This record gives sequence, C-alpha cells and structure tokens, in this order.
Amino acid sequence: MTIKYLLQKEFLQIIRNPFLPKLIIVFPIMIMCVIPWVMNMEVKNIVVRVVDQDHSSYSQQLVHRLEASRYFRFAGCSATYEEALSEIRRGHTDVALLIPSGYHRDLQRGEHPQLFIAANAVNGTKGAMGNAYLTSIVSEDPANPLPSLQQKASTLVLYNKHQDYKLFMVPALLALVMLLMTGFLPTLNIVGEKEAGTIEQINVTPVSKGAFILAKLIPYWLIAFFVATVCLLLAKALYGLSSVGSVAWIYLLAMLLALFVSSFGLTISNFSSNMQQAVFVMWFFIVFLMLLSGLFTPVRSMPMWAYATTYINPMHYFIDAIRTVYIRGGGFREIYPHLIALSLLGSTMSLCAVTTYRKNE
Amino acid sequence: MKAIEVHHLSKRYGAVEALKDVSFEVEKGEIFGLIGPDGAGKTTLFRILCTLLKPDGGTATVDGFDTVRQMNAIRSRVGYMPGRFSLYQDLTVEENLRFFATLFGTTVEEGYESVRAIYSQIERFKDRRAGALSGGMKQKLALSCALIHQPSVLVLDEPTTGVDPVSRKELWEMLTSLRERGLTIIASTPYLDEVRCCERVAFLDHGEIRGIGTPGEILTTFADIFNPAGLSPLTSRQKSEENVIEVEHLVKAFGAFHAVDDISFSVRRGEIFGFLGANGAGKTTAMHMLTGLNQPTSGKGRVAGFDISTEYEQIKRHIGYMSQRFSLYEDLTVSENIRLFAGIYGMKDEEIRRKTDEMLAQLRFSDHKNDLVRSLPLGWKQKLAFSVSIFHEPEVVFLDEPTGGVDPATRRQFWELIREATKRGITVFVTTHYMDEAEYCDRISIMVDGRISAIGTPDELKERFHLPDMDSVFTYLARQATRSSD
Repeated sequence: MTIKYLLQKEFLQIIRNPFLPKLIIVFPIMIMCVIPWVMNMEVKNIVVRVVDQDHSSYSQQLVHRLEASRYFRFAGCSATYEEALSEIRRGHTDVALLIPSGYHRDLQRGEHPQLFIAANAVNGTKGAMGNAYLTSIVSEDPANPLPSLQQKASTLVLYNKHQDYKLFMVPALLALVMLLMTGFLPTLNIVGEKEAGTIEQINVTPVSKGAFILAKLIPYWLIAFFVATVCLLLAKALYGLSSVGSVAWIYLLAMLLALFVSSFGLTISNFSSNMQQAVFVMWFFIVFLMLLSGLFTPVRSMPMWAYATTYINPMHYFIDAIRTVYIRGGGFREIYPHLIALSLLGSTMSLCAVTTYRKNE
Repeated sequence: MKAIEVHHLSKRYGAVEALKDVSFEVEKGEIFGLIGPDGAGKTTLFRILCTLLKPDGGTATVDGFDTVRQMNAIRSRVGYMPGRFSLYQDLTVEENLRFFATLFGTTVEEGYESVRAIYSQIERFKDRRAGALSGGMKQKLALSCALIHQPSVLVLDEPTTGVDPVSRKELWEMLTSLRERGLTIIASTPYLDEVRCCERVAFLDHGEIRGIGTPGEILTTFADIFNPAGLSPLTSRQKSEENVIEVEHLVKAFGAFHAVDDISFSVRRGEIFGFLGANGAGKTTAMHMLTGLNQPTSGKGRVAGFDISTEYEQIKRHIGYMSQRFSLYEDLTVSENIRLFAGIYGMKDEEIRRKTDEMLAQLRFSDHKNDLVRSLPLGWKQKLAFSVSIFHEPEVVFLDEPTGGVDPATRRQFWELIREATKRGITVFVTTHYMDEAEYCDRISIMVDGRISAIGTPDELKERFHLPDMDSVFTYLARQATRSSD
C-alpha cells in the first residue's frame, strides 16, 4: 500500500505550496466571473448610416426602426452614397443602407423596388450579421410586409430557447479551466522533482512506476472535481444557468478529461529536463487541443484534414458531450460514444505517462 | 590605507541577526580567510563588501571607498565569485568571458594578461558550453570572469565546494600567484588545508567574530570545532569474506566517450568502501549503474545478489541511497519524509512510528520532528538524509558526496553515524572529496579517467606509493589523468 504514503506526500506538497492552492481557487472564479461577459459572438452596436433618397414617411419609419434596434447604432444620414462609402472607408461606419428615391411609391404600386446594403466585411462575421439583421428589420414591417423578403421558412429554436450566448459558453469555459488547471499543474510536477533532485531518491526505491504516477494523477482528479463544482455553482449564482441534464454526467466527463490531460502533462514532464521546456511544450499542445476542439468555432466548418484531427482530440468529445448534457439535457444514450472515446484516449495517455517515466536509463 | 576596513557592521533579516558588530581589517595584497559554520553570516558579509546588500549599522570600505555611498567605484574594483557558479550555462566559455568583460566596460583583449595564467588552461575548450564543463573547469572559468576587469580585491565565497582535491590545490596555487601581483583576496572555505593557505583568518560564528589571527592560532584556539579528534580506529568488527557488490569489466559509454571504462572490483559485506576520484572521473556514473538508475553498456555486476542489468528493481529493495544533490523533500516535515520513504519500502505504520521516535531520539532531534526540512541547517539535513536512507535496514547504502560543504565538526558526527550503521551490518559505499574521510574507510578505490587506478586499504596505498597520507596518494594519481577532466 505504498500509494497511501505517496498520496499523502502529493497532497501535503500541494497544500504547502505557497502559490498553488490560491491559484486553484482563484483561477476558476476569475474565469467564470469575467469571461462570459466578454466572450460573446453576438454582434451588437453595428454602426449604420442611411442614405435616404426617398424622403418618404416610409423611409422615416425604417430609420426609426433602426434606431430602436439593440443591434444597431444609428450614426446619421448621409446625403449621397459616396459620402456613406467614404465613412465606411474611414472605419466610422460598418453598414450603409441606401433607400432609392421613389422606393415607397414603387412599393405601393406593387412593384419590387430594391434597397441597397453596403457592409464592411473586414470582420466577416460582423459584416454578414449586420447584413442579416438589417435585412430582417427591413422585412419586418408589420403594416406592409415585403413579399419578396418574407421568410419562406419558419424557425423553431431548440434547446437554447433564448439563444443566450452565455449558456453556450459556460460549458466551454468549464472545459477551458479544466484544460489549463489539470494540464499545467502536472506538467510542472515531475520536472519540478527533477530540478529539486528528489526524483533520483525516488528512482532508487522499489516504488512501482504505476503507483508513483497514479499518486500524482489522483490529486488532479480532485482538483478537476473541485474546479467543475466551482464553475457549475458560479454559473448558477451569477448567470442563473444550470445544467438541463444530470450533473453526474458532467462530473464523469470532467474526470475522464482530467485523466487524459493530466496524464498528458505528466508525459511531457517525463520528457522535459527543465520547467521552461515543459511549460512551453504543454502550451503548444494546449493551443491546438483548444482551437481544434469546437470550443469557439464549429468543427464541421473546419477543412477536412483539420476536422479529421478532432477524432483524436479529447477536448472535442468533451465539449460536444458537455454541451449535449448541459444545454440539451442529454443522458447516457446521447453521450456514450463520447464517453467511450474519452475513456480510450484517457487510458492510453495514462499508460503512456507510466511507460515514459523511466526509473532506469 | 587598508584594502578592506569593516567597522561595527551589523545586519538583520527579520528576527535573525546575521551580523553583530563585526570589525576587521585586511591589508593590501593579503589572503584573508573567513571561516565558520553554515549560517554564520559569511555570505552576508561578502555581499555587503560587494555592495549587493546594505548594512543596518556600521561602515565598510573597500579600497578606500564606502560600500554604501561609493558603490560604483567599488563595483569596478571588486571581483566577486559567489558560491554557486555564476556562469551562463548556455553560453560558451569564450562568450561567458566576453560577456563579463563587456559588463565592466572592458574587453577580453585588454584584460587578457591578468587572466592568462588561468584562462590558458581552459582556452582550448573555448567553444564548449559552460554547462558542459567539469566542476574544476567551471571554477577556473568563473575565476577568469571575476578577474577580467583587473579588480584590486577578489571576493570568493566558498569557491571549492564540491570540487576535487587536485582542482582545489590548483585554485589555491593560482590565488597565491595572484597575490604576488598585489591583489587582495578574501575567501571563505570549509576545507582546513585551504584555511592554512591564508595569511590571516577570521572565525565568524552566529554573526560574531570570535577570533582573528594566523590559521595556526585560530585552528588551535577553536580546535574542538575545526580540528576534532579523529575517530578511533574500528577494531571489534567481524569481517566477512562474502561479497555484497561484485563488478566485472563494467563499461558505460555515452557515444564515443567512456565515462566508466572497464572497471572491476568487489565490496565485502559490512565494509566501508571509499570510492574516490576527481570530478568527472566517472564515480557518479558508476554508482548510478550499481543502484539501478542507469544501464551498463557492457560488463557484469551484482549488488546484494541481484544482477544490475536485469534485476535492478530487486536491487532497489535492498539498498539505500543518498544522492549528491540534497535528497529529502524540503516542503515536508522531518517525520513526513521518514514516513514517505519508509512507506515506499513497505514498512507498516506502527513500525514506522516506533522506529521514527527511536531514530530521532538517537539523533537527539526529537524536538524537530515536525519542522519542515527546508528550515534545518545543512549539516542536519545531511545527517537526516543518511538516517532516512538506512531506515529500512538495507544491505548496502550508497552515499554520493554526503558531506559536501559542511564544517569539520558536523562531518565528524556524520561519520559516527556511518560507523553506527556498519555495526548493524550495513555495507557503506561512499564517495568523498575529503581525504581525512578517506582514512576512515576500510578499503578505497581511486578512479582516474573512468578506470580504477588503485584499490586497497589506506595503509596499503600509502605504502605502495611511498607517500605519507591519502591526500598525497590521491593527488599523485589524479594528476596522471589525461582526459580533460570532463
């Protein structure tokens, strides 16, 4: 039962560290308090200019509707289209709306007059969204529906009914905190013992490699458990969000991800000769794990070769599964492929951590 | 004007008084030694002289300049070699020297004459990274870097800790030749032979000067500390003919370099076996193979009856080990460390508790059971590390330079512990750079260039080479090294 003594040592070392316990507590709290407010893909405050050549009551109404919208900031009217374009060029305006003269009249005659929208698409999303919002405002005239622009399909929003971006982000942030906490701490662990010289003392003892590595992994499971709890509680307290599905699945997923990430960290630690090296290598991989996981961008819009990597990216399974549980209320039936994949990746990586730890060179 | 004048100097770190009313003077061109146990305040004093620290009270002048008000003048006149090598490990030898020259606004060419005697010895390795040098060479480079700006005062803080006797002698020969050029040297050292190379020494203890005088005067006045009576020869010990370590034609090669080059020897059960050699002779590599940390390239070896190439995990059950670098967990307490290592060897809680109390009582250390290891003085850490390494009653214990950097009195206590262990039937395999310790061993081997060039009892070796003591035997053999001490 050497594991008991090894575990005791690991916990004492984490608790006695002047910095780690503070980090473990403060880091998830900071992330949950700050990031949901700023990590927001919703496009707001699009600066819009109108070139009203129609000067009708109808065009006036349109402008009022723009002003009232929370998506737009009305920057005023320009006299000519060229003037509006130069505003865009100077970066003062995102979208310009041109209402041609006789627009209202043509509309009443039953003709199909056209509005013209010019959008600055340097930020592609912003340009496209501005365009879409503007189109929907123009077409949303209750008194005078535009037949040509009327929606041909009706949309039923499933799951995230209010399309709240925070609800989408909270599980992702949990994943992010887990990745950083259970990834970097173990990376620093073994290489830290190498630098202190204590690893040599351990290596001349008959301790088994498995027990030594397991004793290093278990504390990170507990940290993962703690971090997940903090994130879930804060989401409830600060944003009133809670999981639709069972929390038990979320914890299970978190444990499986922690198994992979901390084993990965220990593996890197095994190969590194100093802390700098270990941290930079880990950082390199974390960026890939994170950006190729669907954390911020949908994986299906990635090129095929990049999408292919998501099959071995545990972060991808984790994000997908946790969103399924948290937002859609999925259970075992929905996430079992993810659970299997995560278990496989996690156990492979932990085996890797044990075999790459060399007691004898 | 004196080279260094110190008047009523004091310095505190919180509640700790590092220096209390220290006064002394050093003449120009003198070699002045500063001796005393760990934590006596030597490094604090050096740092004040080098203007790296401000004193709380009193004044110090170097070359006539005040250490507080005229820092810049002092900095260009002082060469400082801190205890741990101050070199950039990733820069080459030449780049290091060039860098330090630039720091002081001079060039290597300008200062070359003043370092030539030393630098020429390592110049052929000028394209090698400093990190890849041996201890002795690093020391020569560090000294060159400290001298490149032609300082008038040289401050050396334990320059020879962890360096083999031959390299130490070379360093002091260099220092003596520097003095002849008018350089003032102030140095601290734990080695008595080096203390005797100084013209005058000050004994600093707990921040106070206890005495200043010639080495002879100080070493006699404080003989109980610096010159403890040698251990009485061990007599009543049953000698066993059984070999507990057997090595035949052992080789460890790193590429074309043979760190250990075909060594064969055996160690008998219950023996104290001294494994000597200069820095880089291959001692640590050989020891790593015996303890199962490293695989031999070729050759055979058995430790405690197990083969070192195939059964190394079984060997680990039957040995204890104390590495050169400090081997206990600094952030665990004394009893937590004992508990961890005892637990790893499969001892039961009850047994651990009982033995821990016994052991600490024997060390008279029970009061410090719950102290963090970090807070203990170095000598205590080493005694504790040794006690932990034999806590599980191994057949053999391997000690890699266990007494580096501690004062003679503590070293003597350490060797008493080693003897206690042999009485319990534990075989001791020890490396050391202290030749007085070599005399305590039953048998000795001396490694030169990866090979064992002599093996036998201390008396046999002295007789064979017709030399009076182990120090001369070692120096004689180590000087025959051809490989560039790396």
